[in-house]
Amino acid sequence: MLGCFYFLLSEAAEWWDRGILHNVTSVITIFSAEERKVQRRLSVLASLILAGAIFGCNQSPSPEAKKGDATTSPTPKAEVKQKGVIGVSLLTMANPFFKVMGDAMQAAGGKIDFTVNISAGEMDAARQKDQVNDFIAKKVTAIVLSPVDSRSIGTSILEANKAGIPVFTADIGCLDPVAKVVSHIATDNYGGGRLAGEALVKAIGGKGTVAIITHPEVESVILRAKGFKEVIAKYPDIKIVAELPGGGQRDASFKTAQDILEKHPDLNGIFAINDPSALGAVAAIEKAGKIGTIKVVGFDGMPEAKQAIKAGKIYADIVQYPEKIGEMTIQAVGRFMAGETVPAKTLIPAGTYLKSDADKDASLK
Amino acid sequence: MTSGIRTAVARLAGQYGMLLVLAVLCLFFAWATYHEESPTGQAGAELLAEWVAHETPKGEVVVIVTPTGAEGDEFAAHLTSALTHEGVTIGAALQGDPPTVRKALEALPAKGQHVPLIATTGDCRNWSLWDALQQSNSAFAATKILAPGSVRRSTFLTASNLRNIADQTAVIAIIAVGMTMVIITGGIDLSVGSLLALSAVLTAWLIQRAGGERANGVALLGSCLVAIVLCGVVGGFMGWLTARLKVPPFIVTLAGMQIASGMAFIVSHGQSLYDIPASFTWLGRGTTLFALPNAVVLMVAIYLVAHLFMTRTALGRTLYAVGGNMEASRLSGVSIRKTLVLVYVVSALMAGIGGVITVSQLKAGAPIYGVMYEMYVIAAVVVGGTSLTGGQGRVFGTLIGAFVIAVIRNGMNLMDVEPYTQKVLLGVVILGAVLIDISRQRRSKHTA
Repeated sequence: MLGCFYFLLSEAAEWWDRGILHNVTSVITIFSAEERKVQRRLSVLASLILAGAIFGCNQSPSPEAKKGDATTSPTPKAEVKQKGVIGVSLLTMANPFFKVMGDAMQAAGGKIDFTVNISAGEMDAARQKDQVNDFIAKKVTAIVLSPVDSRSIGTSILEANKAGIPVFTADIGCLDPVAKVVSHIATDNYGGGRLAGEALVKAIGGKGTVAIITHPEVESVILRAKGFKEVIAKYPDIKIVAELPGGGQRDASFKTAQDILEKHPDLNGIFAINDPSALGAVAAIEKAGKIGTIKVVGFDGMPEAKQAIKAGKIYADIVQYPEKIGEMTIQAVGRFMAGETVPAKTLIPAGTYLKSDADKDASLK
Repeated sequence: MTSGIRTAVARLAGQYGMLLVLAVLCLFFAWATYHEESPTGQAGAELLAEWVAHETPKGEVVVIVTPTGAEGDEFAAHLTSALTHEGVTIGAALQGDPPTVRKALEALPAKGQHVPLIATTGDCRNWSLWDALQQSNSAFAATKILAPGSVRRSTFLTASNLRNIADQTAVIAIIAVGMTMVIITGGIDLSVGSLLALSAVLTAWLIQRAGGERANGVALLGSCLVAIVLCGVVGGFMGWLTARLKVPPFIVTLAGMQIASGMAFIVSHGQSLYDIPASFTWLGRGTTLFALPNAVVLMVAIYLVAHLFMTRTALGRTLYAVGGNMEASRLSGVSIRKTLVLVYVVSALMAGIGGVITVSQLKAGAPIYGVMYEMYVIAAVVVGGTSLTGGQGRVFGTLIGAFVIAVIRNGMNLMDVEPYTQKVLLGVVILGAVLIDISRQRRSKHTA
């Protein structure tokens, strides 16, 4: 899209150069005016856009500009109200999960007098590296990351370590053994997997056949599947007849679920490792006319999945609490800066969301 | 003579009007990030030492607290020597993160040491530790905590941030050299982002095969070269399809983008490959010349070579001829096929180099690298004054274009612009910059 935009822009410039626009005087009288006047106006306009754009973004003055006294002589600083800036770089702001997490971070920061600056790597590991570098240049008090790539983030965290800026990770951890992270705050995926197992056992009445639609490339999913399987293993009457990949995507999971239903027409339940997979499975079950006969348990707590629970298409969802992750991460930063020791790892328990919850949920119509 | 100079200046302004835009942007961000800050290093330490000497009661000692890291080390060393010089006794020198410092401080009164005064850096003074400590521990209720007073400074203009910008531009700017050549011939290359990922994954994969963390220098160099050359081969194939079979470059490179990205995922199994020796970060993170990152030095070298090639060699001039009028160049005996293959090879090689630098910067190679880079690179080229219809453009214009985009991004990060707004502003500012450039170019044409 961006490319089209540039292309159009340069096309327009090209046309203008050829003087074609000058012929359209009846439409745009400005171009029939004297050449120089047009140019001057145009450069004024361009400067205005430039200035307006930049000024527009400077609405919230940085806290540093306010605090401290103006004298260069060594005088004691007055009571510092603001305790510092926390630089945050999340995985992507296009996913509502991280948007909710970021908003919670900002709210939590406000409560303990920290300014929280949110940015996002947008799936670009190099861009996230740039953002961390900018935080270091700015000398932020602490850095919070949801790494785009758990390995590539290592060098950036090392730079922050060298500059003496503490680093925290939220939701996604760092896998580089050398880089030092003060604390990692995330959902307890293993525990969530166990909850999913318990929910599905209850849904199918303690016996029957179940399938897992998985996505083993992601570590959190591996943990979810592990927890799920451990619970099922305790019930000898329940058999896992299939564990197949759905790519964590709706369309791929739809096809996978169709294949599973083809081979196991008497299936009783499906555990889908995230909501897109669960919704894909529901589509396949709907097509086979088996809604209600085959119970589905999803993971995440997306609004669309909650809607499906309300409609009785999904039995239960294991929900994560991004707002809790965000809040607890910022609180950990606050405690650390006040000199308290914080645990190296905090896992936030997931919850089970059933039809009874959906019926009470005000966010669903 | 003077008119000659004036013409030269006018020509320069016309050709590199974007340089003015860049200067304005830099000035603006320098002003916008101007703020008060505690002086660091020797100056800060000496300023503080004088003040501490004045405040310390007779017979009392002072405790020094600094954060971990090079800056903290330097400050502690200078403060210690300055205080000794002033005749102040240092009771203890503590270094670490807030919990470490707190534990060490709270141990002092237990040992019978009185702490009337703590000298620390400006950054440490902002820790919320101090309020918490003074409220919870009566031994510190009357303790004075001193840090150097404030000086005014612009975050944007610090040496480390300027290096930062150059570092952040390097990869995009290097790829943009190839893109400039492609666009001058009237083509487009959408595959560069994916080729960067492919090159990164190949480099990391080859290094793993060559012994991983124990790979020697020759193996490292070999891995990089093989990865870059393989990218060049892909580029050559795309150029051949464009030149020989007359498939529009947009389509060829769109397909190339998919194929290269897919290959990167296949080679790496979708994971990031990280078994890379620490010495490999020399290219992306190390410095040799004037404290400039090596990737930046490489970027400058590539631009010099490309500039000479485009302006001083017959082959370089051929690119303009092909882009200006393909039919006329063919009739005048220029081998269009050879020229087109050449530019796509160069573009792919540059993407390959970009991939190697990225691996070096991140010490890992992942197939997700380079997403949307083709757009940033094309933006840099167009902002730099190269016409998308071909036949016109300058390599150094592209470098300026790349810097304009990098400066805007860095400046917005420093000013805490919210990410959704950043996208809109980047687009608007690029649009504004190009409008200014167009109007300046037209004016200079009239005056010349």
